[in-house]
Parts: sequence; C-alpha cells; structure tokens
Amino acid sequence: MSEAEGFAVSEPRRPGMTALAVAVGLVLADSSVVVLALPEIYRDLDTSVAGVTWVLVSFNIVMACAAVPAAHLARRAGPGRAAAIGLAVFAGACLACGASSELSTLIAARCIQALGGATAVTAVLELLPATVGSERRAVSIWAIAGATGAALGPAVGGLLTELVSWQSIFLLQVPVAILAGIPILAVARHEAATGVIESELRKTGRPHVLANIALAMISAAIAAALFLLVLLLIEGWRLTPIGAAIVVSVMPLAALLGSRLEPAVPSSRARAAAGAILVAGGLGGLALLPKAEVVLTIPPQILVGIGLALVLSALTETALLGRAPQAIHGGWTISARHAGVAIGLLILTPVFTSDIATQREDAIDAATAVVLDSKVAPVEKIALAQRIEDRLAEEKGKVPTIGPAFEPLPEDPEERAAVLQLKSDLQDQLDRGATHAFSPSFGIAALLGLLALVPIGFARKLDL
Amino acid sequence: MSGERRGHALVGIAVVASLVLVGVYLAAGGASYAPAKTADPCKHRPWGNPEGLEQIAQQFTLSALNGAACQLGVSREELAQALASDEAREKFADRYDISEEEIAKAVRAGLLRAVNDAEKAGALSPLVAGPIRDTIRSVPLDEVFQLLESARSLLNSAEGFLGPAQDFLEEFLP
Repeated sequence: MSEAEGFAVSEPRRPGMTALAVAVGLVLADSSVVVLALPEIYRDLDTSVAGVTWVLVSFNIVMACAAVPAAHLARRAGPGRAAAIGLAVFAGACLACGASSELSTLIAARCIQALGGATAVTAVLELLPATVGSERRAVSIWAIAGATGAALGPAVGGLLTELVSWQSIFLLQVPVAILAGIPILAVARHEAATGVIESELRKTGRPHVLANIALAMISAAIAAALFLLVLLLIEGWRLTPIGAAIVVSVMPLAALLGSRLEPAVPSSRARAAAGAILVAGGLGGLALLPKAEVVLTIPPQILVGIGLALVLSALTETALLGRAPQAIHGGWTISARHAGVAIGLLILTPVFTSDIATQREDAIDAATAVVLDSKVAPVEKIALAQRIEDRLAEEKGKVPTIGPAFEPLPEDPEERAAVLQLKSDLQDQLDRGATHAFSPSFGIAALLGLLALVPIGFARKLDL
Repeated sequence: MSGERRGHALVGIAVVASLVLVGVYLAAGGASYAPAKTADPCKHRPWGNPEGLEQIAQQFTLSALNGAACQLGVSREELAQALASDEAREKFADRYDISEEEIAKAVRAGLLRAVNDAEKAGALSPLVAGPIRDTIRSVPLDEVFQLLESARSLLNSAEGFLGPAQDFLEEFLP
C-alpha cells in the first residue's frame, strides 16, 4: 500500500508480522471455535438446536455485514487505529461472551465481537504489505492466517470445552487479543499525528463478484461440513468434545496437505474447480455414511480438507490480487465467506432439526420393534423397556446412552446373551436414526459445493 | 507437464476421487443406512415355536397388538408406545383423532386375532379357541378399558392379559 493510495503515513511504524497474523487467525477462528462447544452451550443454557445455532449464525451475519464498512473505516481512521480499536472491542466482547449466562446475552456479545473482529481483520490487511514487503505475500499470509485460525478453531474449542468449560474459549481470547494489539498500538499512535488524503479514499475498484459469490457458496458448504459433523459426532454418536476434536482435526491436517499442491498448479481457476469438486465429493460421502463408525468419516474429511485449501486460497487470490485498496477487497472476501457460512447454517438448520425429529420417531419405532421381537424373557423385557423409556426422558429428546438401562446384566447365560443382543440391536437402530438424520443436510451442503462451480466456470470469460 | 495440463489433471483427480468415495459408500449400503421400517401389522406373522406359558403369552400379546394396530391403521410399535402410559395413550388418541371407544374396539379385534393366530400355530386347540372368542366378544367395552389400564403389566404374567382364558389355556397347552 503506497502512501498515495490511502492513509498518509510519514514514517510508518511496522508491527510484527506475528502480531498481525495472530490477530487475523484469532478473529477468524471465532467463526468456528464454538462449533464443538455448541452441544455444551445447548445443555448449559437449556436452549434448542435452532437457538444455539445463532451463537454461530449471529457472529457470521455481523461479520458479513460489517466487513466492508469496517474496511472503509480502517482507511478513513487509519488501519493502525482501526485494528487497535477493533481488537479492543473484540477483547471486551470476548469477556462478555465468557460471562454470559443466557443465550440472548451470549448472542448479543457475539455480535459485538464480530463488529470488532471485522474492523481488526480488514485493517490488518492494510497494515500487512508494509510489514512483509509485498502485496502478494501480504495476501498469502492474511489468507493462511485466516484459514489456519478457522481450521484450528474447532479442535482448540473442543479441548477447552472438555478440559475447562465453554466459557474458557472466550475468556482465553482476551489476553491473546491484547497481546496482538500492543504492537499495533504504536502504529495507531503514529497515525494520530497524520491526516487522510480524502480524494484518494474514493479510489476503490469494484470487487470480483464471481470469485466472491463462489467463496460464499463454498463457505456455506464447508461450514455445514464442520457444524453438522460435530453435531453428528457429539449429539448423534455420543463422542466427547475432545474425541470429536481429534476426529475433526483430520480436516485441517488434510488442508495442510492441500496447500502443498498450490505451487504445482498455477491456474487458480483449476485449483478452485478441483477444490469445489473435492468439497462436494467429501460432503457426498458424509451424506452416504454406510455405518455409524468414526473411521468412515475420515476419507470424506480428507477430501473436504484438501478441497477447502485449494478452493479458498484460489478464490481469495483471485478476489484480491491486483485490486486496490486491499482492505476493501479483503472486506468483500470476509463478507462473502461469512455470509456464506450464515446462509448455509440458516438453510440447513431447519432441514436437519426437522430430520432429527422425524428420525427420532422412526428410531424409537424401530427400537420398539426390536424390544417387542427380542428373545428376552417378558418380565425382563418390561423392566428394560421401562428403563430405556426413562433414559429417553432423562436425555430430553436427544439420542440416549442406553448402556445404563441394561445394568445389571442377568446372570443366566442364555438370558444374558439375549439381553446383550437386544442392547446391540437397539444401539444399531439408534445409530441408524442419528446418522440418517444428517444425510439430507450433508447432501444439500454437497450441492452448494457443486453450485460454486458455476461462478468458477464463468470466471474465465467474465472478469468483473 | 504444462501448467494448464496440471490444472486439468488436478480437476480430473478431484472428480475421480469424489466419484470413488461416493460409489464405495453407496455400494456399502450408505443409501439405506436408516432405522428399520416398521412391519405392516395387518400381515400375518408366524408364531414360531413358543415354549411354555410365558412365551405363548408373549406371542399372544404381540398378535393382539398387531390385530389392534391393523384395525386402527397404525403401526404395532406406535400402539405399543401408546399403551405404555395414560399420557401416551391420550397423545396417541389426539394425534390420530381416535376415541377411547375405538381403541377399546381395536384391542378387542386384536385379542380375537391373537386367538386365531394361536389356533393356527397349534398353541390353542379349536375346542378352547371357540369359548375364548365368545368370552372376548362378550367382554364389555369398559372392561377392555380396564385391560388397557393394566396394559403396562400385560407381559408380567399370562394372567394379566389372558384373563378368563387363563384356566382354559393352562389346561389345553400343547
């Protein structure tokens, strides 16, 4: 960014690249960091699946709406000042999120967090070229920092949720945001003494519409992959947050692998198309899981991970390179990505909540059939049915852990075998119900991934 | 390989990898991995070879449940859940707009089917089946309601649901 293009800086003070990258990673991790904590928040705040989705949706909607205005603000007020204020607001909102005891307060704090975050992230893109020496490198670092944050978010969130609490996810971000903000403060103080060249502020090129539309579509698909998979693992298959964090870590690891392919294929259009196809293929695999086994989620996750690394970097590059000012166009990509996430969640939440209700009924019918037809002695069967019913009531409509209902096991070996068979058959029907409930949503997400190929395909002829 | 060719190759690999994954999962039964469908209660189900009064009682109850569910046009499983408690029965009646009297009539129809099934399976001799049928037909509807009230304990002992037929059954068990 030259002095003539935007904010006038006489002797620019440069914050370290690490501080800037941490700021971007921290903010963008927030669109996914609570994914693994959602089931815990859902139980703790005694809300509904649709209600808890707003903890994610609200953040993404505000990020989508605020990113471009925040970028303009960063150029007007100065990127250093905007980044410092943005990080301060973000840190304050994190504190409020951690202190929330009601869903409404948490959602309100998430909105403020997104406002601060959008300001900081777009402003950092304006600061980066001066720090790293080139626009291309700045775009690359900005995109990698954001992708790393978003990819690591769920695993870190899952670990903190299980080891400490869901509140700790937000509270831990406060010192990190402050530490990242301290070097930026120096730039902010320097900017306070300078002015803005008003005429230059109006020079903003048009955003790359097709790349941003494709980014929105693919982000919707990826958000669905992450959000739905986590819900399936924790709520459907009863994994612990740490267990789920380990399982979904396959995606960021595969993304690292995917990012190594970038230099080998210079065509960003080919990388974007291949990435979108892989994301859609992986989601198609998740829609067609043939059994409720964690290992079967790994091949689809590998495809989604490699795909997202290819498609996100290719589309972000296309949307940013050669376009000035960077903050504004970066704002458009942030806006497109978060709008996509919010739209994806808003489309899919009613679909899967309705499917969960239907599948729950079907699973209970199938489980009833299993109990009725089992070889367990009638007296034992009635006692078991009562205990299973109690488990269902205790779990308030969620997929129950049926193990305790079968304790203690009968001593008679024949009866014991019949009870164990019944337990296994029942678990199978519940697993089928829980897994099948997510299939249509994964299918829709796969379709969104495929639809991203339309703007990617047109992008060759039309460079908007 | 030129940059363009590498691009085409990457897209080709992505297509193949996606199709292979989806194809393998489809072949492994991914499209049909769902809870088992409930069976048609109107279809006859063979009794197998029940041994002892307890198992005969169980088969009898299942046949009665199928018969009643068939009469009401619902699944056997839904009816079993409805009979689990008063609250569940009220919910069931509201959902399908079925009166208590209709439920009672359906239970009576179910019991008659159970007697027929028991007779077909050789668990009841025709000599016994006739009087049991007459007894079931003559039970007033409000007594069928009482039977419903104790539905939860139906399987606890044969006595619970066979009622007046208990003595006959014990006498004529194969």
